[in-house]
Amino acid sequence: MSHKYELTKGIFKENPVFIIMLGMCPTLGVTTQVSNAIGMGGSVLFVLLCSNIMISLLRKVIPDSIRIPAYIVIIASFVTIVEMVLHAFVPSVFDALGVYLPLIVVNCIILGRAEAFANKNTVLDSALDAIGMGIGFTLSLILIASIREVFGAGQITLFAMGNFSGVIKIPVLNGYPIRIMTLAPGALLLMGFLKAFFEFNTARKAKKEAKV
Amino acid sequence: MKNYIKVATILFLICACASLLLAVINNITAPQIAANIQINTEKALSAVSSGFTIGEKREGDGGNINYVISLTDGSAKLAGYILELKGAGYGGAFTLVASYDKAGVLLDAKMMGNSETPGLGKKSEEAWYMQMFKGKGDATPLPLKKSDLSSEQASAVSGASVTFGAVSRALNLGSTYVNALGGK
Repeated sequence: MSHKYELTKGIFKENPVFIIMLGMCPTLGVTTQVSNAIGMGGSVLFVLLCSNIMISLLRKVIPDSIRIPAYIVIIASFVTIVEMVLHAFVPSVFDALGVYLPLIVVNCIILGRAEAFANKNTVLDSALDAIGMGIGFTLSLILIASIREVFGAGQITLFAMGNFSGVIKIPVLNGYPIRIMTLAPGALLLMGFLKAFFEFNTARKAKKEAKV
Repeated sequence: MKNYIKVATILFLICACASLLLAVINNITAPQIAANIQINTEKALSAVSSGFTIGEKREGDGGNINYVISLTDGSAKLAGYILELKGAGYGGAFTLVASYDKAGVLLDAKMMGNSETPGLGKKSEEAWYMQMFKGKGDATPLPLKKSDLSSEQASAVSGASVTFGAVSRALNLGSTYVNALGGK
């Protein structure tokens, strides 16, 4: 497979959220606000990139019998680094992500990519795979969070900068939010619709390719 | 046997390298984290002091009240107290600071460290959340259940009943404690 394919497959074709259905817990949990989605996506991208590179580098050193504990130690170390750095330098994101931040350790995407890709491929391909999957995960979270926050709260929450408060109010919807969208049933409902759309799109593309 | 030693050595080395890396990062970030916590605490105390002068910190009850700070007015007379309270919400332990008048009526409160769910229990950090409890205590009981709230307030805390219950119990404990102090 080409380097370009390794980089782009995670965005649509093998999107971790909508196609592979990995990392559902943080996906449903943190997507109540766009800022949380960006924070979680960025954190997962960093941990995924670092762990994929490290696991690929050590793939010939780590014996098969201890690969899972070794991967967990590597992933947990990078998650702890992200936690400490966010706590020290971006405390607002650290506070917003709360319990989901340490839970990145058991995020299926990270362990899944380590097991399915990084321990069998070169460092460059593993890094490209991590970037693609990380971007795919981040974009998926942003898409879900945008829809949930716009309809559920009538606003989009980004990060406060200078005079910008970080909150963009959506006219009309701000006064009449559909509260269920910010709650768990709204997340599941939206996830179902988006999954159906991605399935439809994948099937349509496969049909087109079969015809050609 | 030889294989076991080899495998154990590899795992040990990975763990040792990870520990070393974490120690270095901790060394860099720990002072900044401590400074952030200190700034946040000072900001929170100032925010809940309701314009009164913040006095000296003293030990709490050894249970869910970490510390007590006296509040004095312009003529150095005791006006109330700030308490740091502990509670257990949906995401685990949390701390909040709350100020009361001498009779145990809540003046203001602010959620501090917590692991509540973003978008649900995390709403307890927002300023409007504590408005549900402000001015209550002593003769007017603090709301302990969602049924004690107006329909608008109950709808605002829907999906986070455990957090609401934990916050109200913590604030109620503080109110009872301050009332029992009797202005001492």
